[in-house]
Amino acid sequence: MDSTDAIRLDQVSFTYTDAITPALRGVSLQIRPGEMIVIIGASGVGKSTLVKCLNRVIPAFQTGQLTGEVRLFGRRLVHEKVGELAGTVGMVFQDFEAQLFATTVRDEIIFGMEQLAVEQVEMQRRLDEVLSQVGLSGYESRDPTTLSGGQKQRLAIAALLALQPQVLVLDEPTTDLDPQGRQEIFALLGQMRVAGHTLVLVEHELAAAVAADQVVLLSAGEIVASGSPGQILPQIETLERYGVRPRDVDRLFKTLGVDGCPRDVEEAMQVLGALAPLRQTGGERTSPREGRQQLFMLRPATNSGQALSRHEPVVNPPPLLHLQSITHVYPGDSPAVCDVTLSIAEGEFIALLGQNGSGKTTLAKHLSGLLAPTQGQVFLRGQELRQVPLHKLAQEVSYVFQNPDHQLFADTVEEEVAFGPHNLGLRTAEVEVRVHEALAAVGLSTMREHDPFLLGRGERQRLAVAALLALRPRVLILDEPTTGLDYLEQRRMMELLRRLHREGRTIIIITHVPWVAAEYAERALLMAQGRLLWDGPLRGLCSQSDLCARASFRPPDITLLGLRFGLTPLSVEEFVGWVNSKSPVGAHSTPYENRS
Amino acid sequence: MPLFFYLDRQSFVHRRHPLVKVLALLLFFVAAFVMEQPLFILPLSVGIGALILLSGSTPTLYRLRILFVFVGVFTTLIWSFFYGRGTRLTTLPFLPVTREGLLFGLGMATKLSTFLATGALFLSTTRIEEFAYAFTLLGLPYRISFTLTLAFRLVPLFVEAAFTVIQAQRCRGLDIHSGPLWQRLRHYVLVLIPVFMGALRRADQMAIALEVRGFNSGRSRTSYQRAPWQMGDVLALLTVLGVTVIYVSLWRAGYGRISVTN
Repeated sequence: MDSTDAIRLDQVSFTYTDAITPALRGVSLQIRPGEMIVIIGASGVGKSTLVKCLNRVIPAFQTGQLTGEVRLFGRRLVHEKVGELAGTVGMVFQDFEAQLFATTVRDEIIFGMEQLAVEQVEMQRRLDEVLSQVGLSGYESRDPTTLSGGQKQRLAIAALLALQPQVLVLDEPTTDLDPQGRQEIFALLGQMRVAGHTLVLVEHELAAAVAADQVVLLSAGEIVASGSPGQILPQIETLERYGVRPRDVDRLFKTLGVDGCPRDVEEAMQVLGALAPLRQTGGERTSPREGRQQLFMLRPATNSGQALSRHEPVVNPPPLLHLQSITHVYPGDSPAVCDVTLSIAEGEFIALLGQNGSGKTTLAKHLSGLLAPTQGQVFLRGQELRQVPLHKLAQEVSYVFQNPDHQLFADTVEEEVAFGPHNLGLRTAEVEVRVHEALAAVGLSTMREHDPFLLGRGERQRLAVAALLALRPRVLILDEPTTGLDYLEQRRMMELLRRLHREGRTIIIITHVPWVAAEYAERALLMAQGRLLWDGPLRGLCSQSDLCARASFRPPDITLLGLRFGLTPLSVEEFVGWVNSKSPVGAHSTPYENRS
Repeated sequence: MPLFFYLDRQSFVHRRHPLVKVLALLLFFVAAFVMEQPLFILPLSVGIGALILLSGSTPTLYRLRILFVFVGVFTTLIWSFFYGRGTRLTTLPFLPVTREGLLFGLGMATKLSTFLATGALFLSTTRIEEFAYAFTLLGLPYRISFTLTLAFRLVPLFVEAAFTVIQAQRCRGLDIHSGPLWQRLRHYVLVLIPVFMGALRRADQMAIALEVRGFNSGRSRTSYQRAPWQMGDVLALLTVLGVTVIYVSLWRAGYGRISVTN
């Protein structure tokens, strides 16, 4: 046996106590010291189970039948306690709140070192070292709860780095972060790779996979594909079949018939510009330069949105929702929302964008009456929102919280959905109709008797939507409806919203996911520092790179690539369509632009 | 809404060793406790007041202002009425206030307010980790002091979750603040279920995260020395000790008590 492997798994299988099917089936892996391996796959395929075997969280915390062999640096793990492996394997989890326990950054980092009996002088040295490593020097006395998501996750990583583990395992470390936070973590991972750490990263998307030595695709507890990023990432069909969203650039290359697996937009641009002549439908070819020149001439006139919104007065008939110069100040804080005026018409599909802390959730809560403005007014169909009684408001505007667990409490799915209609005082027969209708809409009809707490994350999220749909609201506001879901679940959720929208409902989503906004929303609102910076089509916003930079909004990769050609495509299909035809049909034709 | 009193400052009081703060708190309570005469307690109140000003802890005092008024007024009134013995100040039968009773009431009010102010000063200048550290030094098992720390850390998170749940239920037409009492209690249960379930999920994860950082590894552990002993610590402790010794001696010599003459 080769003892130079940092991690070696031989035919590892695991079945949770009470489960019928195994969570892992005969997984074998070898990871050499200093390597980075990224494990990808849909929800519930055994990614977390796999990495928890590496430091004996399985079977110590989550019991079951474990067979096969796990070796760390040649040493076979048999009876070790999780705590005994603390100096060898560090593990970062998705939920950063659940892994921070202290009231200061300093105490957070010291905690583990105290457990491992590190001496005072060494403790101080490592404290300074890891803080500068993760970019939190000077934050020693800060309360971790006051940090941003990205900072919290970096703190959690620093606390583990202080224990100087040989292997660092990160289980979906960026899932709950906004794009800014994700960039911070990816940058840190890059640094740690240079510093020679062995890294095991679990993700349900591919952003980090391109920098890995090995990419492993899991499905139903088995490895279905593994290899270098160059081997795995261009396998579009395989990835989609197993519930992982391929990268825009890989899909574009595949469609255009270009080989390669570019690291980023920059590299993709170089490849496209230098190598492959862009194909056209008629079989005739143009040189890249020519193609680009043509594309430049085809630049769509996009800017029908408005930066720094100054809105028209309330028109007749009154819009569905109208915010008139609202400002919201939380006690003892600077304004979370500052002088925002905004009208929303019946039947719109809006994406509310912006970094965490930009005020978008606060703004959205005003639309649903969950918060009242410190200054300004909110109108629902011309009536001031404060004066709308709760039971009426609940049937007009619904707000789905980011974490479905904040609202689920009933013993069965059915009861959960019936709760709202009961509160409205509806008769039993009517409640039954509503429950039936709502569960059918979200595809949970067959699970009426299930316990909500035992459903998967995607199902719980859809149940939360059903619970509000049963009130038949005209407006549905959803805070991060795709967070924590894998690609198939995300698609399913967004298709559900699209269907509801086509039935005439107004949909407003708060989202960090560029492609979700690009593919589904008709209108984009961009917030930064409590102010509304953009109100209009997303396409117009994407073409204003200075505005995007100011709000740290990153357009989809395909859009960034298109911008180099003077185009603002919102999907791979659009880009390819434009490349293949001389007149970019569809460039101007989003519904919102037609209206405005 | 801040739930705790700690104020991040760099004052002389903040910088004291956690053990000094805990010991000074206890000694101070003893000194104030033995005295009955308000005039004897007053110097202690003034001393604490000065430390509160020095450490910038006045916001805490302001937050507790209603409690101070409540304690001050009620203690004085109740003791004045029910003390019973001593020289009557009024002849009205329904107003049995005596001179000694009033004095005792005032003394009690000063004493309790001073306790309260001392507690406020302590909480405004001591982090929960320092607190736990001091208790570990005094011999409290580490697991207990750590659990205490963790509880303080978690309470604000649960309160925050509860507020979110209230809003989420409101979207479904549930107004938690309306209806008869029994109904409102039922509504609170609907809020508590998601909060508790969330807490359980979190506790599960937290247990894993703790062990990953070596908690419960069966090894011996070290303690990060949070504040090295300084001259100021020795001076502070000696001063408080001195004051306490003087007060206890005065008490033993019979000063500061209220004697009933008849």
